[in-house]
Amino acid sequence: MAVSLLSSSVVARACTTTGRRTHLIVSMQRGLIVAVLCVAVLSIAVPAHAYDEVGGTGGPCVGCHGGSVNSPSGPHGGYTATSKKCATCHSAHKAPAGGIVLLPAATVLATCQTCHDGTSGQGVYGVIKARTGVDPADPAESGAAHRMLDREVDPITAIPGGDSAGGGARTAAFSGTAGGLTCSDCHSPHGSNVVAAFTGDRARSTTDTAGLDSPSNFYSTRLLRQRPTSTDAAYASVTEYGSDWCAACHAGRLSWHELYNHPVEAATTYTGPGSAFTYESVARLTGAGASTTTLGSLGRNNFGYVMPDPRTAEQSGHEPICQQCHEDARDVGDVTLRTVDATEVFKITDVDGLPSDPVVNSDNPRFQVFPHESENDAFLIETDNDLCLNCHKQPAG
Amino acid sequence: MSRVRGFTARQTFTALAIVLVVVLVALLVYLYFFLRDGGIPQPKPTSSPGVESVWELYGPGEGDLPRFDGPMGVVVSEDGRVYVTDSGNNRICVFDTQGRFQSTFGSFGIAKPSQGATVTYEPGSLNYPVGLDLDDDGNVYVASFYNDSIEVFDAEGTPLRRFPDPATVVGRGGSGYGGTGIAVTDVAVHGDRVYATDAYQVVIFTREGEFVDQWGKPGRGEGDLDHPNGIAVSRDGETIYVSDTNHGRVTAFTTAGDVLWQVGTIPEGMDDRTAGDLQLPRGLAVDSDGSLLVTDAFSFEIIRISAEGEVLNRYGVRGVEPGQWNFANDVSVFRSFALVADKGNGRVQMVRLGR
Repeated sequence: MAVSLLSSSVVARACTTTGRRTHLIVSMQRGLIVAVLCVAVLSIAVPAHAYDEVGGTGGPCVGCHGGSVNSPSGPHGGYTATSKKCATCHSAHKAPAGGIVLLPAATVLATCQTCHDGTSGQGVYGVIKARTGVDPADPAESGAAHRMLDREVDPITAIPGGDSAGGGARTAAFSGTAGGLTCSDCHSPHGSNVVAAFTGDRARSTTDTAGLDSPSNFYSTRLLRQRPTSTDAAYASVTEYGSDWCAACHAGRLSWHELYNHPVEAATTYTGPGSAFTYESVARLTGAGASTTTLGSLGRNNFGYVMPDPRTAEQSGHEPICQQCHEDARDVGDVTLRTVDATEVFKITDVDGLPSDPVVNSDNPRFQVFPHESENDAFLIETDNDLCLNCHKQPAG
Repeated sequence: MSRVRGFTARQTFTALAIVLVVVLVALLVYLYFFLRDGGIPQPKPTSSPGVESVWELYGPGEGDLPRFDGPMGVVVSEDGRVYVTDSGNNRICVFDTQGRFQSTFGSFGIAKPSQGATVTYEPGSLNYPVGLDLDDDGNVYVASFYNDSIEVFDAEGTPLRRFPDPATVVGRGGSGYGGTGIAVTDVAVHGDRVYATDAYQVVIFTREGEFVDQWGKPGRGEGDLDHPNGIAVSRDGETIYVSDTNHGRVTAFTTAGDVLWQVGTIPEGMDDRTAGDLQLPRGLAVDSDGSLLVTDAFSFEIIRISAEGEVLNRYGVRGVEPGQWNFANDVSVFRSFALVADKGNGRVQMVRLGR
């Protein structure tokens, strides 16, 4: 009995020992799994969690996102500085549900419009509605807009002339609400992978005016991306603003497609002598009423928006770039042969923010609205004959 | 002699008298605070640094437009009328200091149409109203941004006048569309003077709208301005505070435009490693002790600066909870409280800020 008890006691102890070992092993395995999971979770969570949104310096963001951060100055600058720039627009823990890229507003558009409502200057939406009562983003109204409003319900954006093969429309998904177009599809708020700086069509601010004597002061990339954000790999990447930039989406608008065969010059299609026109290098008249041209920027006056017939040597063999017909609405001037009516030449002396003495009438809008919105259909600079006669001689008789 | 549970009548009377005195004192204290705060609810603590919350308003809560659309300005009258610029809806909403809706006035109207469009402006029309202020008579001065002028109403919302003429050059010129009028973002009224921020300058009028003076210019030097979006006047009327918004600084000027001090530094670009006291200052208010409250939209704080230009305190964090802000755009002071136009959250808050 005693042996039996001892024996059963030993067996029981052995079983207990075995059970403890088994339990220990199982516990260790579970512990190991938990530890691995913890390490995995922490390795993901720690970098984001480590960022103090209240007292953060921006440094931790740049540690991981440095490759996409490269901004010039002003409110959009200083992402690598010891400031709170990243936390200004991104919130690692408090972004609204359903929003994207941890922005403080529900959409990219709403985030941008917290500042770009006009009160901080620069290009904005809503200017034309404020001046006309007509919203050009409304398909039922006249005018034109790159529509990117929150009310956009079409999950896929139709791009006019986006079909490079036939020239017709095609669809693509962008990064806005339900696949619609939004600000960050064309602009990089961080200034990463942007096009080369260009002059812009008009002097709108005193900063611009100060820069007239020092071009580097007013040249700007407008934070335009080299290629739009899209899941569509068909988008080309360009480094210079001009037709090729537009054609990244509107590839079918380039020359010689069956639906839209009006000639357009782009580096990707130009086969003539020399280089293709770009925004910074078009043949522009040397002055009001001049019959000679020189290569220079399209912007800053009206001289580059005309290609009077017969063409000059610089113009010969070239076609206009997109921006020579599509820009902010303006009075280019009457073209009679090679003369431009000097009284209608655009005046850049009446600039936003400057005392105007004497004041001159100007068609210079306070804000750049192209290519956001326009009073003219299709973003044309002029309408009807005024537009055509910039390049074409009026038929005799 | 009667006794109540072992106490004499005298002892009982004395005890009751003491209780009555205590209750009376408590009532008097309560009455004092009730009258001082105008019946405003007791502030509640929040997780937001230095901020106690009283109430939040998301709009009138009635009518065709029950909610605000990006409220950008707020001001309170001495008698407790809270005026809010409901910018996206082109109107002014009026509440009492307990947050109860009273009325609205103003509607959309275009004073300066672009070529081919028509004038729809009528007296009292607004076109993206932004900042606002009151004069000593309780009249309301509203910065009507896209109409390039200031619209003036009486306390009940009846239109009185507008100035400057949006079709006329102001002084040496302004930033209005076509070079006429001013691109006004905020106004401050003191005595007979109305101070307004234009894109690169401050323009001064009388209350009746006569042009008086203008100073300020673009550039990056001391006192230069880049799209100022806030202006306030010290209680003695001798100092003009301006939010130099795109330069990330606040400047104190004399009434003649001479610089007294500046807080904040102009960002120099991506390699600028200066932390900066201010990020994107916008609306301003002068507190009862003479200190300046600055709404910083990018640091998501209300910042208190002394009358001498020293940063004293910072209040709040970004968020949607009571006492938190999301791109707040303006602040106003009522007794011991502050009202904040919390633009990004589409609301106005009444809070109490620490010292």
